[in-house]
Amino acid sequence: MRIVLDAVTKQFGAVKAIDDVTLEIVDGELLALLGPSGCGKTTTLFAICGIHRIDSGRILFGDLEVSGLPPQRRSVGVVFQSFALYPHMSVSENIGFPLQVRKESKAEIERKVDEVADLVHIRELLERRPAQLSGGQQQRVAIARAIVRRPDILLLDEPLANLDAKLRLEMRSELRRLQKETGITAVIVTHDQVEAMSMSDRIVIMDDGRILQIGTPDEMYHRPSNKFVAGFIGNPPISFADGKVEDGRFVTEGLDFDLPDRIKKASVTAGQNITLGVRPEYLQPDFATPIEAEITFIENQGREALYDLTLAGGHVFRSIQSGEPICKLGDKIRWGIDADASFFFDDQGKRI
Amino acid sequence: MSSHLKTWPLSLFLGIVSFPLVLMYVYLVIDTITVTPPGSIIPEKFTLEDWRFLFEEATGRRPSIWSVTLNSFILASANSIVIVSISATAGYALSRLNVPFRSFFLAGMMVLHAFPTVTLIVSIFLILQMVGLYNTLIGVILVKASLLMPFGVWIMKGFYDTVPWEIEMAGVQDGASRFTVWRRLVLPQVQPGFLALGVFAFLDGWSEFILPQVLAPSSDVQVLSVYLAGLIADEFYFDFGLFKAVGLFYSVPVILLYLFFQDKLMNIYGGGSKG
Amino acid sequence: MRHQSDRLGLAFLTPALIFVVLFFLSPVVLTAVFSFTTMSTATGISGGTYRITPSAVRSAAEKGLNPATAERLSQERYTIDDDALTRATKAGIDAEILKELERDLKGKSTDDRRSFERLLKKLDNRPNRRQVKSISPHFRTSILNQSFEDRTTLDATLENLGLDAAERARVAETSYTGWIWTSANFRRMFLQPDTYRILINTIVYVFTTLVIFNTGYAMVLAIVTFYLPGRQATVYRTIWFLPRITPPVIYVLLWKWLAWDTGFISTITGWFGVASRNWMLDTSLNAWVFVVLINGFVGASMGMIIFSSAIKTIPESLFHASAVDGAYRWQQVRHIILPQLRWPILFLTTYQTLSLLSSFELIFLATNGGPGSATEVWSLAAFHLALSNYAGNLQYGLGAAFALILVLIGITASLFYLRLFKFSEMISKPRIEH
Repeated sequence: MRIVLDAVTKQFGAVKAIDDVTLEIVDGELLALLGPSGCGKTTTLFAICGIHRIDSGRILFGDLEVSGLPPQRRSVGVVFQSFALYPHMSVSENIGFPLQVRKESKAEIERKVDEVADLVHIRELLERRPAQLSGGQQQRVAIARAIVRRPDILLLDEPLANLDAKLRLEMRSELRRLQKETGITAVIVTHDQVEAMSMSDRIVIMDDGRILQIGTPDEMYHRPSNKFVAGFIGNPPISFADGKVEDGRFVTEGLDFDLPDRIKKASVTAGQNITLGVRPEYLQPDFATPIEAEITFIENQGREALYDLTLAGGHVFRSIQSGEPICKLGDKIRWGIDADASFFFDDQGKRI
Repeated sequence: MSSHLKTWPLSLFLGIVSFPLVLMYVYLVIDTITVTPPGSIIPEKFTLEDWRFLFEEATGRRPSIWSVTLNSFILASANSIVIVSISATAGYALSRLNVPFRSFFLAGMMVLHAFPTVTLIVSIFLILQMVGLYNTLIGVILVKASLLMPFGVWIMKGFYDTVPWEIEMAGVQDGASRFTVWRRLVLPQVQPGFLALGVFAFLDGWSEFILPQVLAPSSDVQVLSVYLAGLIADEFYFDFGLFKAVGLFYSVPVILLYLFFQDKLMNIYGGGSKG
Repeated sequence: MRHQSDRLGLAFLTPALIFVVLFFLSPVVLTAVFSFTTMSTATGISGGTYRITPSAVRSAAEKGLNPATAERLSQERYTIDDDALTRATKAGIDAEILKELERDLKGKSTDDRRSFERLLKKLDNRPNRRQVKSISPHFRTSILNQSFEDRTTLDATLENLGLDAAERARVAETSYTGWIWTSANFRRMFLQPDTYRILINTIVYVFTTLVIFNTGYAMVLAIVTFYLPGRQATVYRTIWFLPRITPPVIYVLLWKWLAWDTGFISTITGWFGVASRNWMLDTSLNAWVFVVLINGFVGASMGMIIFSSAIKTIPESLFHASAVDGAYRWQQVRHIILPQLRWPILFLTTYQTLSLLSSFELIFLATNGGPGSATEVWSLAAFHLALSNYAGNLQYGLGAAFALILVLIGITASLFYLRLFKFSEMISKPRIEH
């Protein structure tokens, strides 16, 4: 189902937890709410499911406005970070609970529980208690309980945060599979950009209660709308250097090069403060725009190697290259950056 | 802890200071089943003579021990039931629900919880006389439960506070009303708390002396504490063996409950900090 | 719908509120109310009547009632009114005579029998001497020892006797048998020398018990059991918890067994030729020692629990680190444990000052304030005055005034706790808002 948030604001005391958020979630997509902790993404999630009351704006499920409705009257399935399984009930009682409070018949409940248990592969766990399950199994039970009554939308709050690293990889693809198979509209809240990038159809980046950018993972990576987004997405992260525009060139201590044509055209004025952003893969030994620096850090990750380059002026750039390290600490090198693939931000942080 | 340090001096010290206390409790038992000649502390022979009160009929002077015990039991259980059932809802409301003036109520419960209740005995006595509940067990129960109520509510609130919010959120998200969430999802999580508070309130009612002494002194509604105090105060009747036998009889439920629920009770006494 | 959980919250809270308001809050308010009354066993607790007793007349006279009026109140009078006529008719007095009395002399009254009988003799019916003698008792009235249900009937009667409003008010005041509003309780409380004796007793009692046992000894128990191996620690903690869990009547009985003249101490000292005596009550000092011990043993258990759990929260690495530093146990206690106990000590001190101040149960059972009134503390005094004294006249009003002082201290102290323990930070808002 299509979900719309229209100019939603939520305050806690004097603090605006979400501020004028407008967002459309398309039917059947998996949308990731991404941002650092405290950015308002969980508050947005709780506003959608009705746990929080919004102070202004509207929330629409399809054509129905639900802003004033309590959680019980919205058709939303939620998977909580801690899974929130009912410890005194067996797995099948947990999954059956939403149906039971709707007073469905015993046979009906049993049929639906079996069906969803098959879907999330926990058929053999139905008689156990939550305490007897591993983290990944608890996660599956929580998902089963959230989707058993076929809600309009499925919300997942940091679903992978409580799992160990190996399980996290497995559940990432598992969640995606379940969402695809059921075709349910889903919103996932995460602070982990890798999770967001790898699982979702679209990403919403939030900071300080506001939406900074909405787009596909690809757009986020290659066309970040501002410095915050560029810095938040990408691992290892992008490197920044503050400088000035002089005579159509980007100038900072230890670096001076001709701005790409698209930047020149975008009406930059001489003397304007400007920030350069270079992703590690766009700084390579043989790239066009030369950069002279000293290697101050090397991390060999086996398949690839990570380098920190410190310029004469103190700016640090990062480079990632496949294969074994090709130089050693303290080497003076002359590599190059791909100026066309690099980002430039104005002094408000907006990408030019 | 610090096992290389000697512990026996500490142990010895505690042994010495604990001795009088242990002595009193040991002789509580010994004296009820033996005869000790005057001027000695070594029992001479075994006897169950002191326990004859168990089989005595009620007399004009004294009611029968069994009717007194029943009264004590009614007071203690009623106290326990009232406290637990009412604290169960009020504690939840204060812990989790959007009640108007919630912080006012919370502060109020906190103030009352710290408030020394015996200071109210004079006006309670007069109130019970006015409303005609003087010399009735029901009056004592109502007063006892009311005075313990803020404590119970506060303790129960503490138990509810430990239930994760996400359980409740999951509940309302699953479509259950707040009432259903409370009954089916939250109550089972705080059952140990219920048990602890229930036992505590039972013991509290069972041990209570001043309230029944002042508010219900007449023999048909007498409870064990008043009965025993009356025995001890009776000038014509001086028999420590009997006092102790009644005392031991009176404390058996206390000791049993204490042994069973020791840890939980210590938690309540420590956490609730009443007394 | 918007306030679904609001309504549930109120419904959930209401039963507790009813209980608390009825038997907790209303006693607080009524303590204040009662303390401004003269309520006692003599006045009763419901309203009284107006009863003109000789002593009421005397004290009215003392308070400035005109002696002549007082004289009149005490005198018998003969009045011809409806009541008297009915009485006489019922007694079978000649109807003709009565008819004539009603017609000619109704409303008349005389101050003595002689003049009344003179009136009778002048009647047309000429009753003979025997008749006169039998008639006159029926017309005799005296206001003395009569009861009047309310002020109006009293006033009507007094007005008939010719008392003016001021005089009537004076008589009403002295003849009222119920309780009245007064501030005399507080005057008495502040003026009588006993009060100061009780005040000093209370301070001594609270201070010594608190310092020696509730905090001092409790700390010793907590620290020592902390260093003892697990099982021993449990045993000692259990032993020291017994006084709290034992019903007070039995607990005090055990102490009496220890201290009374046939008790344990007397038996032991008897072996050395010391005459047996009641160690608990024979001197004021002994009584105090026992009062402090009895209360202190109970109080220590509470501190023991709180301090023990505070010590348990100290990270174990701190102890190992200091052991490496060569710090001895005493240094550990001084530099690691005691600083950690600062907050619990503050909590316990404030909290138990209040409970000690108001608790009298154990003292009541042990010494009952004796010997003499050596161990009479404030709360026990309130209890004695209002609910249990030898004279038999229970002075509810005065007792309530004593209790009110404690109530006020209790309210102030509780409010102080709220601030001290940062109540406002303890409240978190409910997270489900619908």
